[in-house]
Amino acid sequence: MVTSVMDRANMLDQATLDALRESVAGVLAEQCGSTELHAFIDGKNGLDKGLWRQAGSLGWLGLGIPEQFGGLGMGAQGLAILHGELGRQCAPGPYIATLSAAQAIVETGGDAICQAWLPLLASGEASAAVPATLDAGSLTRSGAGVSGNVRCLGAADAAFLLAPTADDWVIVDLANAEKTVAPMWDRTRNVVDVRLKDAAPLGILPDAAATRAALTRAMCLAIAADSAGGARSITERTIAYMKTREQFGQPIAGFQALKHRAADLATKLAVADEMVGHAVQRMATDEPDADLWASLAKSEVTEASVFIATDCVQLHGGVGFTWDFDPHVFLKRARLNEVLVMANTALRDQAAAALAAITMSGRSALELE
Amino acid sequence: MMSILEAQHDLPAFRQAIRNWLAEIVPPDWKARMVRASNEEYIAFQRWWMAERSKVGLAIPHWPKEYGGAGLSQRHLVAIADEMARADAPQNRLFTISLIHMPGTLLPHGTEAQKRRYLAGVAKGEVWCQGFSEPNSGSDLASLRTRAVRDGDHYVVNGQKIWSSNSMYADHCLLLTRTDPNAQKHRGITYFIMDMRSPGVEVRPIRQANGRAEFGELFLTDVRIPAENMIGAENNGWRVAQATLASERGVISFEGGERQRYEIEAFYRKSLETGAAWLRDAQLHRDFISFLAEMQAARRLLRRVLEESQTQGASASVLPSIVKLSSTVLRQRICSFMVRIAGVDGQVFALLAEGPFGSPMFDFLSAFSGTIAGGTNEIQRNIVAERGLGMPRI
Repeated sequence: MVTSVMDRANMLDQATLDALRESVAGVLAEQCGSTELHAFIDGKNGLDKGLWRQAGSLGWLGLGIPEQFGGLGMGAQGLAILHGELGRQCAPGPYIATLSAAQAIVETGGDAICQAWLPLLASGEASAAVPATLDAGSLTRSGAGVSGNVRCLGAADAAFLLAPTADDWVIVDLANAEKTVAPMWDRTRNVVDVRLKDAAPLGILPDAAATRAALTRAMCLAIAADSAGGARSITERTIAYMKTREQFGQPIAGFQALKHRAADLATKLAVADEMVGHAVQRMATDEPDADLWASLAKSEVTEASVFIATDCVQLHGGVGFTWDFDPHVFLKRARLNEVLVMANTALRDQAAAALAAITMSGRSALELE
Repeated sequence: MMSILEAQHDLPAFRQAIRNWLAEIVPPDWKARMVRASNEEYIAFQRWWMAERSKVGLAIPHWPKEYGGAGLSQRHLVAIADEMARADAPQNRLFTISLIHMPGTLLPHGTEAQKRRYLAGVAKGEVWCQGFSEPNSGSDLASLRTRAVRDGDHYVVNGQKIWSSNSMYADHCLLLTRTDPNAQKHRGITYFIMDMRSPGVEVRPIRQANGRAEFGELFLTDVRIPAENMIGAENNGWRVAQATLASERGVISFEGGERQRYEIEAFYRKSLETGAAWLRDAQLHRDFISFLAEMQAARRLLRRVLEESQTQGASASVLPSIVKLSSTVLRQRICSFMVRIAGVDGQVFALLAEGPFGSPMFDFLSAFSGTIAGGTNEIQRNIVAERGLGMPRI
């Protein structure tokens, strides 16, 4: 037996992770199937709220939060599984924003802020918003308050926003802020425009670079995992459809031109999963190249998932262009994922700079274990 | 030198022993020498390298002990492959069929006498080749027409084989023939060991697009093969051939992935040190870093294939096909990138070169052996779609 890429002393064992995946997948398959999802998109149910409550009670929202703050302490490995499964079902809700904000707080918040906020996030009592892109501007300070406009990823009723000023990152109460919920092509997540005027921060995270890095890393991993899960799910749904759809007297899945397309999608999916897996491994063992691989996982996997979801629309033919079928839901989610955090070109530029720095220092950024 | 195998019970010590031996034995100028080498010099070098590996127990370490191997675990094989790649040691391409395909076929399907006789020869330097493909039977291998007709205690073989690596230098051939032309095509095939020195065997090298001639074409005219050289039962050769094909999955591809990692890293370091022009082009830099992401994914996938190959039911998995599709196309794209950034310099004819990606056109053209050999990528796509995704065969 070769040493498994997952077989590390400081990593969780595979059985624990498999059990987590199975339980999350089971709940989501039951409650967030295609019918419920389409009804939610059409405003006919409160799927997002119901799932969020359940996620809180099942401990999903605390997967990445240490036990001392009310979480399960499963780190990047647990989070990647959760986001992957949420992506598989296109589950609506502010998971990426909230869970990534929690990670940034865990890593750079300090004890008081962790005590104040993490238990609320772990239980689902509070959700968080973060800037949809992290290379946009920052808030300005005026005395004790902060002001500015931030386009946020998060729920309309998010309890707080974690955002940068020129010097640090602040936690700002959103209860009384002026908010506009933008209508999105992807109806499974919200982007909220927040206008702050002399808002008093509820907390300050002084190490701006560290907080930015932690949030970037967490969002990149969450988005990459969500995208990989979504891409796999829509591919499976598409192939299942191709086995039932008949033209020229046979299931279209029998045509070689389409088989080859499907095989290429399966290959891209395998690669995407490994990119996520590699980022998880580097993050879980806290390697110096973790940021680099998280950024690359996000940029590569989101583009792959846009490619895959696009092809899945096409492989469905006419019904792929209808509101009632699934492909467009996945495609729209993939397109939002692609542009979050920052443009993929900018992420690759950052990764290239990190690669050069690591290489010039005489180390390798290409270790696997 | 003591056998490195003595350190096998302590994996880090085993690795260190390999590393020390490689540092001592691999000539620092071997690549430079091979760049200028004639075919004969290349073959002599390959035989020398096999002999050196044999001296320290690293010629056939993966074989069972009863047949002269060391019965090493896959962890050890991975360690050997990784150390070879790290040291940029020569590959033993001349012996690939001898080391991998022949035992992969004989161990499950050969008679005891065949195993005793042929396995022992490899450590002594016997070269094997494979006679599978024919001019009209490539992807549709089972349609092969080379005829074998029983004549007393021999079979008489007539036909033509192609794409037989290193057959010009081979002592033995793993040969597929048709013994029952009236049966359904998969059921009339018989598998033989053919002595390449038999009368009636003629080999002509095939010159490749990359300028080299590693393949031969075999012309077989009334070649007499003793019936005892049959592997498995008459007309059961297709099943035996599956073992040959399956043996390709594993440590060789793993080593290839690791070699590419060290080569690309050396290339990048050299680019930084020399201030290569492509580094100033942001888009090229982005393309390059995307390759690295794909390469890491491919290396992880190759490890998964190795892990899986040790489990029950591995033969039903399409993961090796997925890995072949992803890693061979990635190789082609990386080489294509190298060609593009080399400019007109890269178009100047050169075969092997010393530096990393020193002859990018050679590497680019050679990369087709990955996408075409061992079942074309189109055939792999069929396998993935039909066996993996359950899409119907029609």
